[in-house]
Amino acid sequence: MRGVIGLFRELDTTCDAIAILKKKKFGEFTVYSPTPRHEIEHAIDRGPSAVRVFTLIGGLCGVTFGYWIAIWISDYWPIVVGGKAIATWIPYTVFGFEVMVLIGALATVAGLFATARFPRITHTVGYDSRFSYGDFGVWIEPSPDKLQEAEQLLRDAGAVEVRVER
Amino acid sequence: MATATKPVEDVELLRRPNIPSAEVRLPAVKDYEQVDDEITATLHPTAQWFIGLGVAILFLVIGALAWTYQIYTGLGVAGYNPPVMWGVYIVTFVFWVGIGHAGTLISAILYLFRAGFRTTIYRCAEAMTVFAVMTAGLFPILHLGRPWKFFWLIPYPNWRYIWPQMKSPLVWDVFAILTYLTVSATFLYIGLVPDFAILRDREKNPVRKRLFAQLALGWRNTDREWRHFVRAYLFLAAFSTPLVLSVHSVVSFDFAMSDVPGWHTTVFPPYFVAGAIYSGIGMVFTIVIPLRKWFNLKHYVTINDLDAAAKLALFTSLVVGVSYACEWFVAWYSGSPAEKQFFANRLWGQWWWASALLYTCNICLPLSLFSQWCRRNTTWLFILSIFINIGMWFERFVIVVPSLSHEYEPWQWAGYRPTWVDYAILCGSFGWFSMWFLLFIKQFPVIALTEIKEIVKPRLKFRHAQGVDSTAHPLPFMPDTPGEFD
Repeated sequence: MRGVIGLFRELDTTCDAIAILKKKKFGEFTVYSPTPRHEIEHAIDRGPSAVRVFTLIGGLCGVTFGYWIAIWISDYWPIVVGGKAIATWIPYTVFGFEVMVLIGALATVAGLFATARFPRITHTVGYDSRFSYGDFGVWIEPSPDKLQEAEQLLRDAGAVEVRVER
Repeated sequence: MATATKPVEDVELLRRPNIPSAEVRLPAVKDYEQVDDEITATLHPTAQWFIGLGVAILFLVIGALAWTYQIYTGLGVAGYNPPVMWGVYIVTFVFWVGIGHAGTLISAILYLFRAGFRTTIYRCAEAMTVFAVMTAGLFPILHLGRPWKFFWLIPYPNWRYIWPQMKSPLVWDVFAILTYLTVSATFLYIGLVPDFAILRDREKNPVRKRLFAQLALGWRNTDREWRHFVRAYLFLAAFSTPLVLSVHSVVSFDFAMSDVPGWHTTVFPPYFVAGAIYSGIGMVFTIVIPLRKWFNLKHYVTINDLDAAAKLALFTSLVVGVSYACEWFVAWYSGSPAEKQFFANRLWGQWWWASALLYTCNICLPLSLFSQWCRRNTTWLFILSIFINIGMWFERFVIVVPSLSHEYEPWQWAGYRPTWVDYAILCGSFGWFSMWFLLFIKQFPVIALTEIKEIVKPRLKFRHAQGVDSTAHPLPFMPDTPGEFD
């Protein structure tokens, strides 16, 4: 897909560009920043992350498995002590808790990979190593007839460098 | 040009930074580029670093040779004297697990509490956690007569049709330590991913560039990546927080679940957790104070940060002091002759000097931190941290050895003397830990680049009012970005 990348030196001009892009309905765009910023998140306003769903499901699976494995082992290989239950939930809470944390944390990472769409092999068009250093970037993929308008818009918003990539 | 920015004329508003207290936190750090340039400059190996690494490897080799000798000869060379069948290995295991706890406290708990001073020291502390737990995990294996059978503690389908005893605290330990190691390592790695991307983009050496590219997993700094990353990091911190409390509680159950005098007490879990955090902060000082000097990072790890961490050390030392008092009170109030006898033995028995040392190092010396001069004096903080490390090792020694040597029946009482094998393996553990840490600090940034950038004021074209962002919207309460409430 052909698109336009604009490189910005300042945070506020980047936010200006986002606001204008949203106002003019240029479609999907990607913002690059060296660090997460509230201002950018607020300007884009994408809604809450879905990572929490993975965390919840992972945690619930983990706590269930933790209790289950301890109870199953106790029943399968019973160590009988007079007056004591074969399987008992109080000490097995340790397993329930630890496995909940383990699976929940790993599920969170899986959720991050799924929602943020990485690991990825290529950087795709638009990425510039300056975006990890100190500069900001805005990538848009307008329809071919709006390409020049997009370039001009980014320049007007304060981009110090604008180029078309495919 | 149509712009959404709102230049402000009010002088009073302009005097206050748009990014809360950013200039106050790190006044000598001006922009993002400076952060990358100065911190990545610390990655070049020096002669002193090679010497340090050589010494660490030498210690490790000494420990490895002693372990080889122990495996060949048998566990008897380790100085065990029945009934004292837990000695230096278990003491050192508890010591290293404890060291790891401060790392998670600083990186996870203080993250949730928005404690600003954590930002500059958390990467070191987090790496310290992973390497300390890696070290701790070796000791239960060293302590086994047949260490190659250690995996029998893990529940897995096997031809013996035998499963672990799930009510044993030793099996709980296996789950707790493995979970802790996995989650700590994951937390460290995920936090490093954006920094790997920076290193990938800066690196000139093609081999290292390729390595960093692999480790960065194709990270591109997009808004989508940041949005989910920040949320995932928050959840990992939220999982790590109760894990800190649970792991050392489980370690304390190794002792508290038995009926040995001096061990069978309900104060052990909070006592162990507080002690762990206290010892870990001591180790953080031992590591961070020389690092900030050698790496010329004094303007990042500021005196204010060390002062705040010292207050935390003081607080945990007071909690540990109260725990000691509780132990003594319970021994007296319980009326149990064995408990009373044991605690008298702690003060006047064979290891009176170890008790005196631990009370001096863990209670008396940290009281100096009530003085602001001491909290802001890095030389004193470093010396104190060495005392804290020594005191906390001896605390575990006094818990483990005198209890076993002084049980209910006087005919059972016995002495204990560590042998050269114990000392060599203890040295080896420090070599193992130091080796990993030294390798870490020259491959990866010791200060989190992206998190520092969050508290550095970004470049702005226009000046803006306090309390609004650059799009003139009011700044919302967003508790998922560190540094906002510094």
